[in-house]
Amino acid sequence: MTLVGRAALLLAFAAALYAVGAALWSRRAGQGRFLRSAERSVWAVFAATTTSVVVMWTLLLANRFDVADVAGYSNLTLGWRYKITALWGSQAGSLLLWMWFLSIAAVLVVVTNRRRNRELMPVVVAVLMGVAVFFTSVLSFITSPFATVSPVPADGRGLNPLLQNAYMESHPPLLYVGYVGLSIPFAFAIAALVTRRLDSTWITSVRRWTILSWMFLTVGIILGSRWAYEELGWGGYWAWDPVENAALMPWLVATAFLHSVMVQERRGMLRIWNMVLVVLTFTLALFGTFLTRSGILSSVHAFGESTLGPYFLALILVVLAGSFALLISRMSLLRSENSLESYISREAIFLYNNLLLVGLAFAVFWGTMFPVLSEAVQGQKITVGQGFFDQVAAPIGLALLLFTGVGPLIPWRTASRRQLRRRFMWPLVVAAIAVVPAVFYAQDGAHWWAAAAIILGAFTVACIVGEFWRGMAVRHQLGGVSWPGAFGQLFVRNRRRYGGYIVHLGVVSIIVAIACQGAFSSQGDLALRTGQTGEVAGYQFTNEGGTRSRDDHKMSVGVSLAVSEGGDQFTTMVPGVDVFTAQMQRSSEVAVDSSPFRDVYVVLVGLTPDGLARISVFINPMMMWIWIGGIVMVIGALIAVWPGRRPRGPAAVIPAGADGRVRE
Amino acid sequence: MAYLIIAVVSVLLVALVAWPVLRAAPEGSPPGQGDDMRAVEDELQRSLDAIREIEMDHRAGNLSDEDFAELDRDERARAVELMNRRDSMSAGGAA
Repeated sequence: MTLVGRAALLLAFAAALYAVGAALWSRRAGQGRFLRSAERSVWAVFAATTTSVVVMWTLLLANRFDVADVAGYSNLTLGWRYKITALWGSQAGSLLLWMWFLSIAAVLVVVTNRRRNRELMPVVVAVLMGVAVFFTSVLSFITSPFATVSPVPADGRGLNPLLQNAYMESHPPLLYVGYVGLSIPFAFAIAALVTRRLDSTWITSVRRWTILSWMFLTVGIILGSRWAYEELGWGGYWAWDPVENAALMPWLVATAFLHSVMVQERRGMLRIWNMVLVVLTFTLALFGTFLTRSGILSSVHAFGESTLGPYFLALILVVLAGSFALLISRMSLLRSENSLESYISREAIFLYNNLLLVGLAFAVFWGTMFPVLSEAVQGQKITVGQGFFDQVAAPIGLALLLFTGVGPLIPWRTASRRQLRRRFMWPLVVAAIAVVPAVFYAQDGAHWWAAAAIILGAFTVACIVGEFWRGMAVRHQLGGVSWPGAFGQLFVRNRRRYGGYIVHLGVVSIIVAIACQGAFSSQGDLALRTGQTGEVAGYQFTNEGGTRSRDDHKMSVGVSLAVSEGGDQFTTMVPGVDVFTAQMQRSSEVAVDSSPFRDVYVVLVGLTPDGLARISVFINPMMMWIWIGGIVMVIGALIAVWPGRRPRGPAAVIPAGADGRVRE
Repeated sequence: MAYLIIAVVSVLLVALVAWPVLRAAPEGSPPGQGDDMRAVEDELQRSLDAIREIEMDHRAGNLSDEDFAELDRDERARAVELMNRRDSMSAGGAA
């Protein structure tokens, strides 16, 4: 069985290598048949990699402990669901998953471009398969998922308990889909540079891919935060951990690209900038994998550490050097068709938004890598604390929130003052109303940025609602449709624009919730014997007794707590601790009671045999809105990419101007 | 047995991949010709979308009459130019 897996990986490596050569050869005159051969080779890579994945899953489900990754990341008592997810618990398995997703993405690119982008496709195939060559060679020659051990253990070590969580079943694969998806815009950008087809064709071809990849990254990051919140038991959800940052950086740059690409489409500007963003996004996706796998920085993801760092670093350097050399050689072809006419125009706002997003990505990169850089320069590892990231991210986040509201209300090219006054009057009124509660809650001034987030959030929501309202009014008047019909028509006629607005609503929800949680959360520790009651932030907790249980897999202890507010009991919470017998590793099972206004979050720190429970209580306001915001962002992204017929409206009849003919 | 299966599958894959090269089918139109047309059509579609959006923004009150007139005129001129380019490419292809 392991032989089949190894052979399939070698076959994938050979097919990917051939695809690179054949695709590049096909660019010579009269050699087009080699492109068709290369595309078939992409299918072969997919088939071979799929075989490897199926073999690996079979080995995991069959408890084949003669395979190192099965013995290291599974055991007899592990449930079948976690045996499936154990594939990406190991280093080699997670790279195999990366490679599998890459092969699926490459096949989709081949299928969707059978009759289009034929001039770009040789280079697109060569780039994607070049990346595949790297991964299959690492999997075949450096760290094989099918490596065997001797003597064969009777049982495996089992999966890290921290990974035995529903969110961990989906968080890593979704992030990987996002990372892999970003290789497609990169491949098209390189193809455009190589072939000198630097019009907007490549942009059109990758738009959906970029939004979808961005969406998967968003979901991956949100689920990772949720995992950290529920599994790590420290009351928070984001700690600027290096590996968290590794996923955030490509997300930030991809977000910048999604905005600046509209400037290129509409105004023919920012063409070099867009190329830079695409290259940076893909490089940062590789860097994310490098950070997780290199072990150069300590992280909550320490289970992912390995010695593969130098290989990834080499790939990153090759990608960066090659891409920028190519970009510089094509600089003269990438001149903007237009220039910025006004600093108060939509393209200018997109530019500011881009600078902020890339600036934040750079700050996160700097803070993340500072321990490595300081060690290299001073010989001393200096870790940058959460304070640095918060100080940088808070003002940039607020500025981004402001532009999220302002951008859509400002037209392309230029805006007249009268128009701006009319458009911003109502949002400013709403923001002024929001000042009252915001200032009241942040009265000591220490929470000014939370107050600012609430005010700007209200302003931005008013801007977006106003946009929907005006759009619906126009549709209602023009088409004689009902108001709900007019609302639906907005999405039918301009999915990208209104889907984007929905995404913006999700962003507002998340930023305001983060600000409120950071500013207004409270925490307290209690030690309660059975029957005793303690209070934290106005909530009373009564120890109703401990529970202990044991099965083949783990030992569990818990304490039942009656939770009241103002004397009225509203729930019973049971925080606990699991000790996994295979690894003798502890895992907190936090108890969370959620409502739209606050989470009551309880961690069991210890339970003595005589019933004394030590608990930590966190009251986290608005937490639910982080998760809701994430869902809203995904819905918006799906609306934006949903395929549909292009509408035929007033513009379908073009008074041709010069020649007087009527077209379309 | 495993070796045999691997060998057979490998041979099949090689045959599948090599077939387009060995068959030596006549080359179709050079790559890029259809792409040029598609690029112009995509550009035209974007221009038509832009006209619709400008019109929508004007009706919604996001654009003043003067700004609308200027933006709309420029974008329509661009659309006409793209249509002409598309037509001449079609005529060239048909000839």
